[in-house]
Amino acid sequence: MNAALATAAVVVRRTIAATAEELFDAWLDPEAMAVWMRPGSILNTKATVDARTGGRYEIVMQSATETYPHTGVYRVIDRPRRLVFTWISRGTEQRESLVTVDFFARGAGTEVVVTHEQLPEGAKPSHTEGWTSALARLEESRRQGSHRP
Amino acid sequence: MGEYMPTQLDGVFNALSDPTRRAILARLSGSEARVTDIAADFPISLNSVSKHIRMLERAGLVRRSIIGRDHLLALDAGPLEEAQAWIEKYRRFWDDSLAALDTYVTSRKEKRK
Repeated sequence: MNAALATAAVVVRRTIAATAEELFDAWLDPEAMAVWMRPGSILNTKATVDARTGGRYEIVMQSATETYPHTGVYRVIDRPRRLVFTWISRGTEQRESLVTVDFFARGAGTEVVVTHEQLPEGAKPSHTEGWTSALARLEESRRQGSHRP
Repeated sequence: MGEYMPTQLDGVFNALSDPTRRAILARLSGSEARVTDIAADFPISLNSVSKHIRMLERAGLVRRSIIGRDHLLALDAGPLEEAQAWIEKYRRFWDDSLAALDTYVTSRKEKRK
């Protein structure tokens, strides 16, 4: 992944006191996913997984009022280092985005890094400069500007 | 996840994908400016600058008011805030998920002890 691509993405990381294998497996095990893949207002998650390169998954998340299906295909399954899959949801307007999960040994634990990219059309790598940093810069300069009379 | 509507954001992200347009926005974030002032800031033709400005207007990032012969441009940060909120939702989605993964894996380890 080049630097330009990295800036056109959402990157989230967390170090967890577990082995890379344990954490990696939790991403592909429907029983585990039903428990932990419930961000925000999600009450119930049901996953079906064909855990091989080119295999499909479906994750259906339910809140009190809404159902959010997510689908995609596994591109890389490199246990316990890296997992790459496409991600299509209502949130991506049914267009393909890409999620990469990297697992790094950190002392007794493992750092999990999620990179969600190609969000949305405007963030494609052909646009060589990232908009995330552009937004941050703009927001910053706007705040400074707003102090003017 | 989220109930956000990225359709209108495409215009915003496309508008932000070009360095000249970002520079125009940065310029306007300081103060309003006339089209001719902005054109003078960039080593490209007035015609090219106008095209960039029209794209920013279509994305809702720039407002134009005509005062006499002057076309005055101002930044409208509303769509930027929407774009940021949209990115923030994704960030929170994965942040929450990793926190839940942490709880799940570590509580399983506790049980096994």
